[in-house]
Amino acid sequence: MSLHIGIDTGGTFTDFMLYDGGKGMRAWKVLSTPGDPTAAVIEGLSQVQDLSRIASIRLGTTVATNALLERRGARVAYIATRGFRDVPFIQRGNRRSHYDLSWVKPKPFCLRRDAYQVNERIDHKGRILAPLDEAEIHALAKRLGDEGEVAAVAVNLLFSFVRPDHELRIRDIFAEEAPGLPVSLSFEIDPRWKEDQRAMTTLADAYIKPLVRRQVKSFRERALAAGISGRIAMMKSNGSEVSTQAAEERPINLAVSGPTGGVIAAKHLTTAKGIRNLATLDIGGTSTDVSIVVDGQERFTDDYELEFGIPLRVPMIDIRTIGAGGGSVAWLDKVGGLHVGPRSAGARPGPACYGFGGTEPTVTDANLVLGRIDPNSFLGGKMRLDAEAARRAIGSVAAAHGWSVEEAALAIIRIMNNNMVGALRAVLIEQGYDPRQFSLLTYGGAGPLHVCDLLNDANIPLGIVPNHPGQFSAYGFTMADARSDRRRSTLLNSRNFDVERANAIMAELAQSVSDDLRRQAHDGEIKLIRSLQMRYLGQNYELSLPILVERFTPEGMEAVWRDFHRLFEERYRFSLPDAPIEIVDIGCTAIAHMAKPELPRIAEAAGGAEPASRRKVVFEEGTFETPVYRRQDLAAGHAFAGPALVEEAVSVTVVRPGYGLTVDMFGNLEIKKGA
Amino acid sequence: MRFSGNGFYVETYNKCCNCGVLLYGAAKDDERKFCGDWCASWFSAGAEERARGLPLPNAKMSYAGRTSVVDLTILDGNLASICRDMGVTVMRTAYSPIFSESLDFTCGLFDRQGEMIAVGDFCPSMIGGMPLIVKAIVQEFPLEDMSEGDVIVHNDPYRGGMHTPEHTFLKPIFLDGALVGFAGAIGHIGEIGGMVPGSFFAEATETFAEGLRIPPVKIKRAGKDCPDIWKMMLANVRTPRANYGDYRALIAAVDLGEQRLLDLIGRYGVAAYEETVADLLDYSEARMRAEIAEIPNGRYSFEDVMEDDGVVAERLTIKVTVFVKDAEAIVDYHGTSPQTKGPMNTPLSIPQAASFNAFLQISDFTIPKNAGCFRPIKVLVEPGSLLNVEFPAPSVGGNTECHPRIVYTVLGALAGAVPDRVPAADGGTWSNFLFGGTHPDSGEYYTSYDLHTVGWGGRPGADGNDAVGSMNGNCRTIPVEVYEIRYPWLVEDWSLVCDSGGAGEFRGGLGMSKTIRCLAPEVTVSHVGDRHQVPPWGLHKGKPAGLASTRFMLDGERDWRDARAVYGKVSPSKFANVRIREGDRVKVVMPGGGGWGDPARRSREALEEDVRDGYVSEGAMTRDYRD
Repeated sequence: MSLHIGIDTGGTFTDFMLYDGGKGMRAWKVLSTPGDPTAAVIEGLSQVQDLSRIASIRLGTTVATNALLERRGARVAYIATRGFRDVPFIQRGNRRSHYDLSWVKPKPFCLRRDAYQVNERIDHKGRILAPLDEAEIHALAKRLGDEGEVAAVAVNLLFSFVRPDHELRIRDIFAEEAPGLPVSLSFEIDPRWKEDQRAMTTLADAYIKPLVRRQVKSFRERALAAGISGRIAMMKSNGSEVSTQAAEERPINLAVSGPTGGVIAAKHLTTAKGIRNLATLDIGGTSTDVSIVVDGQERFTDDYELEFGIPLRVPMIDIRTIGAGGGSVAWLDKVGGLHVGPRSAGARPGPACYGFGGTEPTVTDANLVLGRIDPNSFLGGKMRLDAEAARRAIGSVAAAHGWSVEEAALAIIRIMNNNMVGALRAVLIEQGYDPRQFSLLTYGGAGPLHVCDLLNDANIPLGIVPNHPGQFSAYGFTMADARSDRRRSTLLNSRNFDVERANAIMAELAQSVSDDLRRQAHDGEIKLIRSLQMRYLGQNYELSLPILVERFTPEGMEAVWRDFHRLFEERYRFSLPDAPIEIVDIGCTAIAHMAKPELPRIAEAAGGAEPASRRKVVFEEGTFETPVYRRQDLAAGHAFAGPALVEEAVSVTVVRPGYGLTVDMFGNLEIKKGA
Repeated sequence: MRFSGNGFYVETYNKCCNCGVLLYGAAKDDERKFCGDWCASWFSAGAEERARGLPLPNAKMSYAGRTSVVDLTILDGNLASICRDMGVTVMRTAYSPIFSESLDFTCGLFDRQGEMIAVGDFCPSMIGGMPLIVKAIVQEFPLEDMSEGDVIVHNDPYRGGMHTPEHTFLKPIFLDGALVGFAGAIGHIGEIGGMVPGSFFAEATETFAEGLRIPPVKIKRAGKDCPDIWKMMLANVRTPRANYGDYRALIAAVDLGEQRLLDLIGRYGVAAYEETVADLLDYSEARMRAEIAEIPNGRYSFEDVMEDDGVVAERLTIKVTVFVKDAEAIVDYHGTSPQTKGPMNTPLSIPQAASFNAFLQISDFTIPKNAGCFRPIKVLVEPGSLLNVEFPAPSVGGNTECHPRIVYTVLGALAGAVPDRVPAADGGTWSNFLFGGTHPDSGEYYTSYDLHTVGWGGRPGADGNDAVGSMNGNCRTIPVEVYEIRYPWLVEDWSLVCDSGGAGEFRGGLGMSKTIRCLAPEVTVSHVGDRHQVPPWGLHKGKPAGLASTRFMLDGERDWRDARAVYGKVSPSKFANVRIREGDRVKVVMPGGGGWGDPARRSREALEEDVRDGYVSEGAMTRDYRD
């Protein structure tokens, strides 16, 4: 029992990373099977010699995300306080763009005909203004159960985060009258104020529950049938692993788990390499994910929108996604201005060079025209690219400006890079971080193509291309811990701070997150992290202040307020020392640390690195006959200057003239300006 | 503008009698004044001459700058990111929910002459309104009076402003002692004194009842607060603590804008930066010209009304004639009612912003928003008309309520030119609901500004959206749970209004309604709305939408009655200082959007879904959709 496997199910490929104790890592990928994602997983696992040696599998799945994005979930009944069934339909009234009259406001995850309202009302002080009409719930539950048209139920009553009694009672009544119907309660999914966000999150959980249950069950059963007896876990959006049973109970936690793996791996890379700060950039076919690791720690958020108007308030690693990737389409506006994305050619027809009938110029076509991608070794030679089709597509941009095809391709790359620099700026400068104190970790199929340009434009001194950049996320999964987060709104402020009430909520949260991990058989030490989400009374956005004590005391609060003023000053460069402070939420996180693979070291270089071939590559600085190295030929200590390319199965690292590359002891490529 | 000899006050507000812009500098009060030759020519031109078109001065017909289109896209992206960053600072640090929840603010960057070079994607009415404000400040403050670290504050509706609540903070930016531009932040301050809590005095007959008016003055001088100004401003408002926080948030935004812009200029060098910016404005102009060029040449008119002004129960006409000639448009409001007694007047910045807004609605929305893209659109508003108010007539309601009406009046005119690009009218009102009082739990004074959402009009290919804000703002409503925690109201209902969308092949979207019950001994309420009597229009045989209403049910009574019946007010939609007592209820119902196309052509399937989901009642289905 010594194998640990991370599996990342993507739209096109399912990636596998295997860690075999002292014997190191192995990566491979198989084509995804979107109709039955488990089939690709089982097929990929068949490449493992002895399945009984598997100690753990971590599966990152896009089943939940795709079901939400493509609206393939279950028919859901929504139950609200009388007078408020339209909350998920009305939303907040703002629009995606000021000037887009074609915009269609997103619909919630239920039909209006399935939105019910029940007689009950609790106020913000927890007083029952109208008792729950239980007879009404019995009748509704029985009817929904008997009719069998809805497959899940979402309950969102006003002020359930203050007093959950009515929601809990509704679940009990459903268990009695319609035991087959899963019920998602807003108090359990997201016990915080702002009913519209709670509504969307609770609805989303109910919407994907039947589907996720089927998928998880199918995976578990087929893995068992294949002879796997190790721990089978799923990946959550907060970058932790979760047992399949716990995942089925609250599937919304899986919603954005896909991109987390790279950030977890980045976090461990900071430890292994002894560096503090990383910006991560994962460039895929249609989108780019950007995140940061600061002082060796990933950042968390629950301020997330699946799409405009669909907030999902679940704890997750703070990853920004922009619509720019290899498939992003370059287009000319009415006066010749050049733009790239956000529209993407996707996987079908894909870039013109894929030869699936695409004719629009994309970033991948530009990289091919510039010689940065070799048409014969794309995806390790499994797919031959049509260089002439790429030139024809880019030619339309070139003709409009009297540019050569290469000039047009360079222009497309520059604009693409600028889009990504904007994303890097958003996670660094806009959050108050100095890019010069970060290194840039690029992965995904297309990330390493752009690394030098981004170092230059974003003012970041060091670039890193990890091993297996195409399977980096699956690699990260093997390093995940178990983690449970919970936050609850409190409505306390510095003038009326009720120490007893705060301690009671804190204790309840700690119990809840610890129990969550214990139930998943984490019997060892559980670490608790406590925090307050605070702001000046009257403001609307919070800062998270870590709390190092288990219980609050009246005399200890002065230090808490002082810490908040300092935190605010650091973030916004001013503070309001006389203003009262509001504690919006209390948060608690439980972490169970799990064993992690050690990064294997690679062989030391015995001599200089030898290129396997040379080809013409176009750079901003000119066209050069450029040496092409094979990644597998590189050893620790190898170093060479740009222009150069490093090719591997799923990716190409471009080293611009004026930049130098060295290989570290783990095999990471380090790139910086100068030699 | 003629100032007093000591320069402390304005003697007369001189305006161009053709387009209505303020004229600084010495002009005699008794002669006809124009801002330039173009306005003088147009003013005296006959109908035929106008139809032939008069090319606008300094027009650049196409983009032919030195900067490559790649560098322009990159610069625009960088400038826009600075503005967004400034806006996020305001959103995250401001006190008023009107900022932080409703996003009623925006941030912009300006060149040395005060021309807008980039603006944040926040409140649309301010995007088109900021250029005039900054122009006025720059004309009033000679360069030698500005120094590094100054911040100027301004809200004067007679000097380019939008209405008294809209406060602009502008910071001149210096590099090596030379002015290189400005960073500006404008936001709606929730309470600024005056006759009513929340400062929306719907029955005002003079601006002096509309809160504290601030001409451009320095609130910071060379990096230091000017305590005299701070004390004056904060002494004249009901909620000084919140106002202080909001002012600080806006100042933090301009400070950030200054720093980021200096970083950016540092990467270019001043000369190269200014040349690239000039090219960016020309490029943006060329893109708007390309849009206008796709509209057939012609003269297109439309008119609509505001129902009353809160003081006099008479309808007010908003009339527009759009002259389109090749790549330029003249938007002429001649024929609009004269300025009125109550506060539904607007300063020039409103029709100007609304006209730009209307053109952007039917253009490629990726055009960089800056002074360049507005150059090919000339807006003409007679001084003294409803849409170009003269001192000291009131204007607080005109900004929020006239702006959407103006946008759709311009779009209504353009429907004659490009019928497939224009939707039917949206609900066109916010039912601005202002209230304040002493909170029974905390004993503290509070005020609040609540907004409501309407249906969009049907459009070619799609029904209107339900419950979205009208075109001048992009405001978020306050969640029920936030509302009840902050204010002494119990929300009893928050629903879509069945049948409020106008019937059509593409149906209008639904408006929302909200019912609240008072939990405090007394709350003082003011209200500014419209569309209680004249519904939003349909297009191409589409039917009009449902009406708005705001009604009251006093404690112990069983009937809903409007403010005329209950409180003896002139208008059902514009009234002030109504005292609501514990147990009284208020119900605000919002209009939907107009229908687009013949209702008989609506698909049977879509109509059946409408009825099953409660968007259309069975009665309305047979009444409005019968062949």
